[in-house]
Amino acid sequence: MDQFSTYHPAINFFYFAGVILMAMFFNHPVMMAEALFAAVLYSFFTLGTEKALRFNLLAMVPILLIAVLFNPMFNHYGVHILGYFPNGNPITLESIIYGFVMGVMLVTVIIWFSSYNKVMTSDKFVYLFGRMIPALSLILSMVLRFVPRFKKQLEVISNGQKCIGRDVSSGNLIERAKHGVRIISIMITWALENAIETADSMRARGYGLKGRTAFSIFRFDNRDAIAAILMGLAFGITCIGLALGAGAVQYNPYFKAAGINPVTPLSLLTFICYFLFCLSPVIIDIMGDYRWRRLRNSQETGISMTGADESLRNAMFGTPTSDENNITDAERMSKGKIKLWT
Amino acid sequence: MDMITVEQFNFAYPEASKPTISDINLTIKEGSFNVLCGKSGCGKTTLLRQFKTVLAPHGKTTGSIKYKDQPIGELDHRTQAEAIGYVLQNPDNQIVTDKVWHELAFGLESLGFDNATIRLRVAEMASYFGIQAWFYRDVAELSGGQKQLLNLASVMAMHPEVLILDEPTSQLDPIAASDFLETVKKINRDLGTTIIMTEHRLEDIFPAADQVIVMDAGKIIAIGNPREVGVRLNLDHHDMFEAMPAPMKIFAGVDGMNSESAADICPLTVREGRQWLTGHYAGQKPQYVKVSAARQKPPVEHKTPIITVKDVWFRYDKSLPDVVRDLSLNIYPGEIFAIVGGNGTGKTTTLSLISGVNKPYRGKINIDGKPVGRMSGIERFRGLIGVLPQNPQSLFVKKTVELDLYEVIGGTKERKSDEYQKDMPKKTAVAGMAKLMHIDHLMDRHPYDLSGGEQQRLALAKIMLLNPRILLMDEPTKGLDNHFKKELAGILYKLKQHGVTIIMVSHDVEFCADYADRCGLFFEGNLVTENTPRAFFADNSFYTTSANRLSRHLFDDAITADDVIDCCLQNDR
Repeated sequence: MDQFSTYHPAINFFYFAGVILMAMFFNHPVMMAEALFAAVLYSFFTLGTEKALRFNLLAMVPILLIAVLFNPMFNHYGVHILGYFPNGNPITLESIIYGFVMGVMLVTVIIWFSSYNKVMTSDKFVYLFGRMIPALSLILSMVLRFVPRFKKQLEVISNGQKCIGRDVSSGNLIERAKHGVRIISIMITWALENAIETADSMRARGYGLKGRTAFSIFRFDNRDAIAAILMGLAFGITCIGLALGAGAVQYNPYFKAAGINPVTPLSLLTFICYFLFCLSPVIIDIMGDYRWRRLRNSQETGISMTGADESLRNAMFGTPTSDENNITDAERMSKGKIKLWT
Repeated sequence: MDMITVEQFNFAYPEASKPTISDINLTIKEGSFNVLCGKSGCGKTTLLRQFKTVLAPHGKTTGSIKYKDQPIGELDHRTQAEAIGYVLQNPDNQIVTDKVWHELAFGLESLGFDNATIRLRVAEMASYFGIQAWFYRDVAELSGGQKQLLNLASVMAMHPEVLILDEPTSQLDPIAASDFLETVKKINRDLGTTIIMTEHRLEDIFPAADQVIVMDAGKIIAIGNPREVGVRLNLDHHDMFEAMPAPMKIFAGVDGMNSESAADICPLTVREGRQWLTGHYAGQKPQYVKVSAARQKPPVEHKTPIITVKDVWFRYDKSLPDVVRDLSLNIYPGEIFAIVGGNGTGKTTTLSLISGVNKPYRGKINIDGKPVGRMSGIERFRGLIGVLPQNPQSLFVKKTVELDLYEVIGGTKERKSDEYQKDMPKKTAVAGMAKLMHIDHLMDRHPYDLSGGEQQRLALAKIMLLNPRILLMDEPTKGLDNHFKKELAGILYKLKQHGVTIIMVSHDVEFCADYADRCGLFFEGNLVTENTPRAFFADNSFYTTSANRLSRHLFDDAITADDVIDCCLQNDR
């Protein structure tokens, strides 16, 4: 379970904007390796082990291979010639390397985006960008409501039409098009008619009054502040390092990268900070897991020793009301049992 | 204190010759529960909307409506938004935003409250209405009942003093509907919010009502507490009495209910009705316990079924559980078969299997001995199967009823096509169908301007023009008042006489008991039992009509109000 997604949307967005931009603009091999590693690792937290494995192996590896194969076919720069194509064009080491680099960059960005989709849900996005223009946040929210609704209604209508023998998936092209147009026409009438009621409902609840506010369920708390400072620091140092040339690299006509041979203190610092920045959600998740496990262990030992260490429990979870108390007791019992049996 | 007073109020739409509502005199007391009832199109909604001026239609008004001694037109938008809450019919259309929490906050945002206040109010509402479990969800994931509850909660978050509800349960299934009504009652009881609502399901709401207002043709014809209103309607022999709760109808049929004083002893609920009936026979078992032979339908000899469903299994996806399991079922030509049962038991899915829209992964479905799966869409839906969708609007294409009817048979041009293969001229066919469905007086109206019952009849007319021999209907009585239900039943009987076989899925046990030839109970994707309605409902103890629940301790097989009256009259003779 990913915990980074419970942080403030601004932090989520800052992180993804940072890593995705960096991955797109800097192709220093060390940084790319770090980013790919962090992206893959984080995808295990956001997508779940099974889905992440399938996604990374079945979709990402082929993309990488295609990039490695295709680049040398169309690009022939570089000084290390490995052989020749039948048409006389050279195959160069540099073009293969650059194909690999392109592939890694593409794959990294795609993996980041798959995590982004899980973390930055629509309401977070609306919240962040609605703040700049309050009316926009409502419009975004309404659009997000309409899209699934229209999709569903379209299904209802096309099923209704299917039941009078007008199926878009059968018949000749003209018939199909006619049926499709008819469905759209029904859809438009339906949408316009029903929008009147939505407008009524908005007016009935005071829409259009002066001084409308925008409510949000997100709060910027201490945890967010600490994360923001640390992540900002790592990102800041990375940027300074890059500005000073730590990320310089060239693939044409021959491969040359700054800070690898020999390793300079500046490049080492930059790479470490970049790595930490990329890994920050993973670090947060692992730390959270560890803390949770420790808390649960101490709770269970407390229970098994005394059976009812109320003061400790209350200190940790607040004073429970009487029926909540029963539930936690029952849960505790069942947990204790499971523990005994296993 | 009086919350709303209406004096000599009239309203006419622009350019209408006569007023839509007239001579309305009405007082709504603070904290009272008011139910407004009447046939569809009698002016209920028009009147309700006058109480919320931002929603009031344009037109000419005379007389006065006062909110707390202040003319309602003088209330500013802000006070009105805050003090008068309005919940509309359709659960989906009222929801504006994509998240549950945002929807709850919508009204408060409009009023300009700060974040902390909204947070508190929203949390309060979520806890009171039991929404916290789905607080962060997308509204698209909610069920109809949850959506309507959300609409109610988001209006209540603004702390209104008057809550107006316009047929809030008409789009919900009965279980969700009675949950919703319970919540409305709870609001009235716990918070003292004044309630004004229109509703068809009077049986649920009557016991809680302080004042019932019955309207007909734009006028108030009866007003008072529920019992008084029942007595008045009965004395006037008004057909709105048909809509009254079953205990009241039985009482009127047996006792006569001929004087104003009957209002003191008239039963309202099943419990009261049962006690009254026991008292009527002084605790003795009556002599005749069966419904008289005249009311018993003669048993029908069934020969060859038109539809056979044999050992059918179905699931929507390989990884999902079975929706229909091991279902076997025979439907005979020319009968009305009603499938009843709870939500999610596979009733609607079964219809889609019979119509061939979904295909079972095991088992056979034959129509006239021919497997459904082998027929093409044209074969199935032109002249064999007609499916009436739950939402009739999904069939309407043209701008008038008449054109819409022509549309389904390939336009107004007189030529044969695969949609229309009869020799009869199209004009005769359309006119005849319109007459059969009682929509001949609406031919030049826009389909969307019709009432719910009329829209449904138009949809049915469109389907029937394709001349199907089998008609499948999903919840045909949803949102219909008693009057329209009766008309629908009349139409179904006529179709039956023409040899059409009808299969309907319904939650409406009263309707099935009255009009079906056979009923089947669905549970866990399977038909648990099927029988004639009389045997079926007389055997059930919970899943049965209120007339049966009221009388089952005395009579063996009375399942409708008329049955109970019939039994009583046999004994009282």
